[in-house]
Amino acid sequence: MASVHTKDRAVSRRLLLQGFSAMGAPITVGLPPLVAMFNSQGTAYAAAKATPPNRFVLWFNGNGVVERYWIPTETGRDFTLTPCLAPLANFRDDIHIITGLDNPAARLPGPGNDHHRSMSALMTGTSFTGRGAGGASADQVIAGKVAGDTRFRSLQIGVSQESFGESIQRNMSWAGHDRALPPEMLPHKLFDRLFGARDAGWVARKRSVLDAVQADAATLKQSLGKEDSLRVDEHLASVRDVERAIASLPPNYRKVEEPQFDGDMKDWPRIAKIQSDLLVHALASGQTKVASYMLTKCQGLTRFPWLGYTAARHHDYTHQDGKAPGGADGQRIMRDICRWHVEEFAYLVGKLKATPEGDGNLLDHTSIVFVHEHAEANDHKNNGLSVIVAGHAGGLATGRHTRHTGTIGDLYLAVANQAFGAQLKTFPSASRELMGLFG
Amino acid sequence: MRIALLALFPFVLSAADFARDVAPVLSRGGCAGCHNPNGVASGTRLKFPEEHAPTEAFGKSLYVLVNRQEPGKSLLLAKPTQRVAHAGGKRIEPGSVDEKVLREWVEYLATADLATLQVKAAASEAGPAKRALRRLTHAQYNNTMRDLLGDSSRLADSFPPEDFINGFRNQYPGQNASPMLTEAYSSAAEKLSRQAFRTGDSRNLIPCKSQDLLCRDRFLKEFGRRAFRRPLTALELTRYQKLFASEKNFYAGAQLALEAMLQSPSFLMRVEHGVAASLQGYEVASKLAYALWNSTPDEALLNAAAKGELASPAGVEKQARRLLASEKAHDAVKEFLVDWLRLDRLNGTIRERRQFPQFTPELTVAMAEESRRLAEALIWQRGNFMEFFSATYSYLNSDLAKLYGVTAPSDEYTKVELPGATERAGVLGHASFLTTTSKPAETSPTARGLFVREQFLCQEVPQPPPGVSTNLPPITKEKPVTTRERLGMHLSSPSCASCHTLIDPIGFGLEKFDAIGARREKLHVTVQPERNSKDEPANFDLELDTSGWLAGLVSTNGTSAPFNSPRELGKILAGSAQCQECVVKQAFRYLMGRHEAAADSAALERAAQEFRASGFQFPELLVSLVKWTTYPPPAPTPTAVTRN
Repeated sequence: MASVHTKDRAVSRRLLLQGFSAMGAPITVGLPPLVAMFNSQGTAYAAAKATPPNRFVLWFNGNGVVERYWIPTETGRDFTLTPCLAPLANFRDDIHIITGLDNPAARLPGPGNDHHRSMSALMTGTSFTGRGAGGASADQVIAGKVAGDTRFRSLQIGVSQESFGESIQRNMSWAGHDRALPPEMLPHKLFDRLFGARDAGWVARKRSVLDAVQADAATLKQSLGKEDSLRVDEHLASVRDVERAIASLPPNYRKVEEPQFDGDMKDWPRIAKIQSDLLVHALASGQTKVASYMLTKCQGLTRFPWLGYTAARHHDYTHQDGKAPGGADGQRIMRDICRWHVEEFAYLVGKLKATPEGDGNLLDHTSIVFVHEHAEANDHKNNGLSVIVAGHAGGLATGRHTRHTGTIGDLYLAVANQAFGAQLKTFPSASRELMGLFG
Repeated sequence: MRIALLALFPFVLSAADFARDVAPVLSRGGCAGCHNPNGVASGTRLKFPEEHAPTEAFGKSLYVLVNRQEPGKSLLLAKPTQRVAHAGGKRIEPGSVDEKVLREWVEYLATADLATLQVKAAASEAGPAKRALRRLTHAQYNNTMRDLLGDSSRLADSFPPEDFINGFRNQYPGQNASPMLTEAYSSAAEKLSRQAFRTGDSRNLIPCKSQDLLCRDRFLKEFGRRAFRRPLTALELTRYQKLFASEKNFYAGAQLALEAMLQSPSFLMRVEHGVAASLQGYEVASKLAYALWNSTPDEALLNAAAKGELASPAGVEKQARRLLASEKAHDAVKEFLVDWLRLDRLNGTIRERRQFPQFTPELTVAMAEESRRLAEALIWQRGNFMEFFSATYSYLNSDLAKLYGVTAPSDEYTKVELPGATERAGVLGHASFLTTTSKPAETSPTARGLFVREQFLCQEVPQPPPGVSTNLPPITKEKPVTTRERLGMHLSSPSCASCHTLIDPIGFGLEKFDAIGARREKLHVTVQPERNSKDEPANFDLELDTSGWLAGLVSTNGTSAPFNSPRELGKILAGSAQCQECVVKQAFRYLMGRHEAAADSAALERAAQEFRASGFQFPELLVSLVKWTTYPPPAPTPTAVTRN
């Protein structure tokens, strides 16, 4: 049987993929419990290590929210979950709802529309360059501090496949100025990157090829000017990343046949769950400590047949407020759309919580930050952002809703320093660590 | 005289630092948003450099906007404060500190020595030509594999998507190498090299049968030359010999070498105008092949490079004409058209179903096909390309003919005359353009205007400032109004009007064509009742005012070119020097993978001249562009700035 080995136990590839190969079947996503990730004592995968490392996930979905359906009226512990937040009912003690954060870099003058500007500012605290983000995104800043010797410095995972968009709309992770890190949107490709099996000798062979490629790059560099040679350097860095991913394959990987992938690539709720499952596997098996998860794109144009909304697309609905042709139902439809986003977020939170690790579970050692490019979607508002932080890494103060006056940069700074010991002095647009998030 | 002035204005002359004090004032005013080489105000005498922050020398070049007799009446001061009419509105508050700083600079310019200023200003002009290290685009990767390996599996179609920058997907600034793309190159190289040698030499890449060292070296040299588009260096040859030798089996060695070559930066990237003079001919060969074929050079082109035949404009022209005569050139031009016209946007467009029941995915395919066919017919039949804007005929299938209300052609996509009553002509009357610039339920005169400015006039319009509400006033049952009237808000609010007077009126002239490009005589508006109300939706048929104009277009009859239909607008564009030059610029951006720079102006002017002289034959434009961008003509003699 075709199989992939992680540690000592086999995980059937078919089993891993059946969740989306059987079209029309009920959504019981086919990932088995993480048996293969456990060690021989039956305790969790990472139990051998004294303290499991903390993991960071930056989670995004496009456009904004309808604040009246999203933001709880009360602050503190006794808040009532709003219609959009209802899917988190079982996880009240694993989350901290933050509202009121500013995204000031979105208001700096410069190229781009409101969505471009807000997206660059949200992820990196810097202005849109006209092509991409102006700096490194929060996940990459944290990865720079904690990635260490993991197989992947970070993972970028995406879901919604609609083709619309420029670089700033399709990418949430940025290695630096104008350097997009595109998300992997296809479950079978993500699976291949993480668990694809290789025959004996493949690793050594691949390394010798990549060594030759690097030597070629070094030769080419000598004949180039500064700007072009930086470009070759970037290529080289990527080649080294690929080499590292290959070199640190677990030694007992075996050959796996190509998956027979016949999934419905428009069934986003299902794909979202498969991608979340794969992300949980990647984090549990120590392949990476940092990931970004892009449910839908910036200024996204997703359609929602499973919610029964097919007349228009996500961004169209955000502006359907009854004041323009297209109907008045947009805001109510947005309520249901936002609830779906939170449902998928809750799914990931639940999966992490159900994955044992050390004396507890994976959620104990994870921090997930859920953001949107805008606060109120219809107005393209970029102050008063609604953010959810989930997971107990760093000792998150959970079970509450807090209104803040700080910036999104302040929040990243607090998460990076308190949950990851990043010792960052600052983050663009931040003035100080957000108070009261942890402890 | 100068000494006396120095004594009179010691503060002004010592304190005014353009870059430190004045440039920020102009930046706050947003002047460069319109006054740049591609801005809507590019026709005026104020033109900010695009490639760098304004320098002292640029500041001094502004003397042309200063009235030396009455500095206070200088345009540099009167325009931004709107003391005289300024299309961009009031950018600097009269009486503000900013105005004071600018006034000091104006007074300095009014008194400084004119000859010195002219010398300094000249220094702010052209910089050196840019070199570029360009990566193969995904389409070029696919075509190269077809021509190099005989592989037509188009593996790059599943690479991470490319981004539109400057309107095209092949632009150098967008070509960064993420680990994911590098990984995709790596897997593709592995797959292709495995296929090539799985059952012996299945793609006939090895030029000999002997399977010895001699044969190995022959393969590495000959295939390496085709893959890297130049001979391998001695160092590279040794490297690949070593790699080849690490496998015992001959074909396994060849496979390993191939796998490495296909992900080498020397394969994936190409240098244009590199420093090693001996390689120049090969770089030109690559440039020509990727510009005109979107693929790798053939043997004849590499040989021409080896023989030094590409070392002159005439040599480049000869090869360019040969390449354009091949079918492969059609592929390259097709890609240009799809990007320039953003035909990709038709894919996945949706429309309100009750309002547009005839809108189907098949119809969007026909829309793209029509625009592509008209352009290709003009290009390859060597017609006047400017007819792309003014042609009173088109290439329709029966669905489109029905949408346009004209008689269907006997065969799909054959030439059909468009009667005058349709008021359609050229791309402006095509459903592709009219649809991609509309919203799901209504047209957007703003999007149509922007598209015309950006794609057809090469003018970049600044985006609305952050935080501005872009919502339009509602339509009510009591006061149903047209889109034009609702957009009127743009024109009556001063902060919006400065840009929207340049944009919306273009779309107003196209309002007789709905969100899928069908003709309408009136605007049908439905006002939905309040939720929970028992009222029925209210329906109205509103009269359409289709008077439009192109503000600021340099034309013979004043500053605003008026029109009422796509046909009239098309005629204006086809005859406009700005639009003709824009076609040149767009082709340049596509061929060169970057925005034009000051150093390219001589090549661009020469190409525009030759394009015009040929009666706007597009293949002639391509020949001129590859020729003059490779060997730039001498810069035109500077002429006095007299344009207003």
